[in-house]
Amino acid sequence: MPFMKKLAAAFVTAAVAAVSLAVTASADEPYTGYNYDWWGDPIPSQNGFVVDKVIDGSDLGLGKLDYSSYSSTMQAQMKALAEPSDIFVDQKTGAFYIVDSKNNRLIITDSTFAPENTKVVSELTYGEEFPESRSVIKSTTFKTPRGVYVRTNTDGVKFIFVADYDNNRVVAFDDDGQILMEYTRPSSDVYDANVTFNPNKVIVDSAFNVYVIVPSITQGAVQFSADGTFNGYYGANRVEATAEVIAQQFWKLIYTREQIIAMRRSVAMEISNIDIDNEGFIYTVTENKTAETDVLKKLNPAGTNIFVNLGYDEMTFGDFASRYYKGKNYASAITDVDIDEEGNIYLLDFTTGRVFQYTDECDLLFIFGTKGPQQTQGTQKGTFMSVAAIETYKGKVYVVDSRKNSITVFKQTEFGGIVQEAISLFNEGLYDEAKAPWEEVLRRDANYWLAYIGLGNAYLNQNDYQTAMDYFYRTSRAGYNRAFKSYRIEFIRANFNWILTVILVIVVLLIVWSIVKKQLQKKKAANKGGNS
Amino acid sequence: MRFDLDLPAWKWPFYVMRHPIEGYDDLRWKKGYNMKVAWVIVIAFFIISVASAQLTGFLFNNTYVKVFNIIPYFSSSVILFLTWVVGNWSLCTLFDGEGTMKNIFCVSAYALLPYLFSEVIVIIASNFLLRTEGGFITFFRYLGIVWSVVLMISAMKTVHQYSIPKTLVAIVFTVVAMAIILFLAVLLLTLFQQVFVFVYSIYTELMYRFSI
Repeated sequence: MPFMKKLAAAFVTAAVAAVSLAVTASADEPYTGYNYDWWGDPIPSQNGFVVDKVIDGSDLGLGKLDYSSYSSTMQAQMKALAEPSDIFVDQKTGAFYIVDSKNNRLIITDSTFAPENTKVVSELTYGEEFPESRSVIKSTTFKTPRGVYVRTNTDGVKFIFVADYDNNRVVAFDDDGQILMEYTRPSSDVYDANVTFNPNKVIVDSAFNVYVIVPSITQGAVQFSADGTFNGYYGANRVEATAEVIAQQFWKLIYTREQIIAMRRSVAMEISNIDIDNEGFIYTVTENKTAETDVLKKLNPAGTNIFVNLGYDEMTFGDFASRYYKGKNYASAITDVDIDEEGNIYLLDFTTGRVFQYTDECDLLFIFGTKGPQQTQGTQKGTFMSVAAIETYKGKVYVVDSRKNSITVFKQTEFGGIVQEAISLFNEGLYDEAKAPWEEVLRRDANYWLAYIGLGNAYLNQNDYQTAMDYFYRTSRAGYNRAFKSYRIEFIRANFNWILTVILVIVVLLIVWSIVKKQLQKKKAANKGGNS
Repeated sequence: MRFDLDLPAWKWPFYVMRHPIEGYDDLRWKKGYNMKVAWVIVIAFFIISVASAQLTGFLFNNTYVKVFNIIPYFSSSVILFLTWVVGNWSLCTLFDGEGTMKNIFCVSAYALLPYLFSEVIVIIASNFLLRTEGGFITFFRYLGIVWSVVLMISAMKTVHQYSIPKTLVAIVFTVVAMAIILFLAVLLLTLFQQVFVFVYSIYTELMYRFSI
């Protein structure tokens, strides 16, 4: 039937559109901005970020390193960066730290990426304070480093932490490459004897507690205190309530001890990446296509996810729909998270190569970047092959691609700037001042639903409840609820006399009616009695 | 059982609603079945299910309003109800049920009344209640459903003259019968659609041949 055919065609088109929203004909960027509306449908939006430039090893003036340990074909592919896997920006000094995993080195540069500002660290030396056995070796190199973090202590000493994956350690050293601290596999009983210690990512909080992500550990991040002692695990994910887990809970009630021990253990998914914001809250992400719970968590120092109380843990991070297309799973796999100075959250999706920008309240702002088609090998600016890490610095977004061996720099568009301005004003509570930028946003993109919420709040602040309700309608239930609450009180106050009068009249009428009815029945009964 | 009842046809649904236990006995005794009244209730069921999707306040409404299609509402109200009647009749005639198709139709329709009332209350209340007061909405919704289910059990028990356990078993198997009916209906529809497509493609083929 043509109707069914049309329906089928519509479904296929929708699926294709959802999977490959990146296909455009004329736009400058290889991706089209989109956003999700109230119903979770993708709708086109303006781009908030566009490609500024793409940095590879030759821009940094690298490539003079000794490649003799690699085969010649690899050399040709490798250029100067080889599988960079992490990036860190020191917001105060503006120094960039790039982990060049396959070359076993750390590259220190700045936002210009100029060769003269670039420094390579590949060899570290042990200082005096290390015991004999170590100071005999005197120097050490990295072996597949995977993560980097930098923190300056109160004495002004800069600690560079590198997660040295194949050396089974996290190493902290200063600017001169002198090792200050080494964090190795904990000997504690808490740490499972069968589990290796291959640090993948590392962060450090203001008290110099070190949090290490080890891919084989599902109990959370491995936490060390400043002196290198193992403190336990931090911020484990919850076990996802799948049908299997629920069934197991049931069988556990019946089974014997031995049977329970023999049962397949359901463990939480491991944390894949971690970041810390200015206020000391730690964010973790879970990179797993099937993960639905705890994809993004915001942890307080006790390791509790504070998104749970706010209800944000129920949200879908990354792309919503179209998980399967032609037998392939296109679900988002969030591989890295970054928090910028304004508190915006950036999530990097490995599956689609997209960056999802959220406000600190987890409202989706912009989606940008894309995975290039297989043929172009990600050579087009703004497309990726295998995204690895994301950082922000002064409004620019830096995305590291470990197969393109490059860093793509995104800059904010004018539209993105207006949205950002409005949100900053909004977060400061300056709802009225935020009105003008929000209106400008709507003038440019009438589908931008966050603008409706912003304007709704502005009108709510001016006690114009009805307009606020109009703006909140189908954009924010919480906002509508607040506006409607005030509107209802106002309405009842204004019309109290009328409402009371109507209720009184109805009550009186009901009483009169019941009396009349009774008397009629009496009369009827009397008539009947009289007749008989 | 009251033998002095002499109600007009339209009052019977309200009477059984207020007397869930013995109301249907009275109805059966007085032969208060009326198809017109029953049809009015079924159509009201359809209208209210549409209204529930369209008129419920924003704070309590989860309907996808970008596309409005009447057919799902029709099939989840009228078609579902008719399937229930047909399924129940075809099952209970085999198991000594005394109800005729007409009787089953009428008593089942009458049993929907509390649900319809609760839905109307919910639709109106959802337009002036806040989210924190949503408990009232849930309360009325469940009250209506539970009351209707009780009435439906009572109706089935009386119309077929079953014991209560037998009624419950009959209801469970009616649901199974409904599933089978709907499955067969969908199967039939799909097959006929394929036949139609086949005939239509032959027709178009022939038309091309002749036009050349």
